[in-house]
Amino acid sequence: MKQNLGEKGFQVANYVFLTAAAFTMILPLLHLFAVSLSSPVAADSKEVFLWPVGFTLASWKHILQSSGLWQSFGVTVFITVAGTALSMLFSVLTAFPLSRREFLLRKQVMLGIVITMIFNAPMIPFFLTVRELGMMNSLWSLLIPGVIGTFNMVILRTFFMSLPKELDDTARIDGCHDFRILFQIYLPLSKPVLATVSLFYAVGYWNTFQRAVLFLRDPGLWPLQMKLRAYLTSPEELAQVNMFLGDYNFNTTTLKAATILFASVPIIMVYPYLQKYFVKGSLLGSLKE
Amino acid sequence: MLHPGVTVNKPVKHRYLRNIRKHWMLYVMILPGILFYIIFKYIPLGGSVIAFQNFQIMKGIWNSPWVGLDNFKFIFTYQDFYHVLRNTALIALYKLVIGFPAPILLALMFNEVRKMLAKRFLQSLFYLPHFLSWVVVGGIVFEVLASGGFVNAFRGWLGFEPILYMQQERFFRPIIVLSSIWKEVGWGTIIYLAAISGIDPTQYEAAVMDGAGRWKQTIYITLPALFPTILILFLLNIGNFLELGFDQVYNLLTPMTYSVGDIIETYVYRSGVLQGQYSVTTAIGLFQSIIGFILLWIFNRLAKKTGEGLW
Repeated sequence: MKQNLGEKGFQVANYVFLTAAAFTMILPLLHLFAVSLSSPVAADSKEVFLWPVGFTLASWKHILQSSGLWQSFGVTVFITVAGTALSMLFSVLTAFPLSRREFLLRKQVMLGIVITMIFNAPMIPFFLTVRELGMMNSLWSLLIPGVIGTFNMVILRTFFMSLPKELDDTARIDGCHDFRILFQIYLPLSKPVLATVSLFYAVGYWNTFQRAVLFLRDPGLWPLQMKLRAYLTSPEELAQVNMFLGDYNFNTTTLKAATILFASVPIIMVYPYLQKYFVKGSLLGSLKE
Repeated sequence: MLHPGVTVNKPVKHRYLRNIRKHWMLYVMILPGILFYIIFKYIPLGGSVIAFQNFQIMKGIWNSPWVGLDNFKFIFTYQDFYHVLRNTALIALYKLVIGFPAPILLALMFNEVRKMLAKRFLQSLFYLPHFLSWVVVGGIVFEVLASGGFVNAFRGWLGFEPILYMQQERFFRPIIVLSSIWKEVGWGTIIYLAAISGIDPTQYEAAVMDGAGRWKQTIYITLPALFPTILILFLLNIGNFLELGFDQVYNLLTPMTYSVGDIIETYVYRSGVLQGQYSVTTAIGLFQSIIGFILLWIFNRLAKKTGEGLW
């Protein structure tokens, strides 16, 4: 195809802009990585850009030896695994009947659910409800009150509805009941969308913050994001040793950088592998009805 | 029709009973889900009545005294309320005006990238920040904008004095808007790119025959084809207009920026949850939901005049 000068110019500008903007997405992380591996003097004197200056592993050693951080890491891994499993179970069990013509209350229940998307309950009554249920200061408060993400559930429902109707007609003739149709026919055919939605839930649980702020007063139960927040706002907690007395090869700048990365490394690592799933999955869940 | 004496109701009732008997498993299956929505969505929604009470935690919702609209009257005479409402509305407006078109623009730009490999690589980089938590992004923002961060390093290199961005009121709102674009713009393109890929290629072929360049194709084919998607996403956005996201603002706010950055959600958390002013803050929360609904209703009516609305 012929291109005139203006279009060629646009093409070039477009590539330049997109590349530059794309790099701002990754540069801050690379910069933090370099800072976390640099000596405290270099880190504080703006010498570090993308390459460590005065290379040292001291910050990483310090935070990896911090028992508080590992405890929070354990909490986060637990709520991510348990929460994702629970959420998938609840969501699949809700989405499946809502995708069936045989389920006569389909429209009414769907309406009831859509209403909750438009009218969000204010924070305080939500807080009081969870409190009345005795979930304050327990990990249940991170798992149960948000167990179904409506958008995720709708993605599952849309996918179930797209599967051919003949499938379960045959299954029914063979004497399958609804649970078997769901677990032995529908779910095996839904692997890509199940993977996507699980990923969405897992990321949500990994990043859980607001519910932890609302419901957890005991620092021993704090998930990683809460712990990270505490470290970032009062860095003294991060280094309980008095750094000004000994000559440690880290300071709050390098420790903060290392901690921020510590809290995001698992997601950054699994991200490239999962990308093809979530793109496909979000398309499945897009706005078609 | 065959039996004239039968009422209209009876067959319907029978239909339900037979259906429930035959498909009781579906009804059992959905029970946990329905319980979830009742307990964690509808009960708190109903619990909003404490906005009309002088709610006391010891007495509970059933025994706390009713005060009518007193809480609402109180918040309208209350300095903090105007502050917080103003902050919320302004940030919401900036986010809508600048943040909403950003992924559309980006999707159109991606659409002009012809090399698949380059496109996929760029997209992966743009999606990444969506997966980081606001605590992490907040940490990054503070670090990048700190006196020793690389924005100030760059300023120093150009010979300017460093600026403490996070401590200054005038930078807070721009930082909120920019950081939310940074985090979500790539992710926001997914749905637009899907809509673009659904456009019938013969339309473009016909346009090329008529001598339309890329620019004309974008204006006359791609954008109009995207319009329904844009409209629906816009309406969904409007419904949550005043809900800016607690995580983001909470993680970027410092006492030095409360005056410009304290929004309804962070205020309700501090005064409601932490200081126990349950009724007043619920009134504020309810006010927020009602504004959201009114806006949604108005824009939905407008949208229906141009095309499809949400309902």
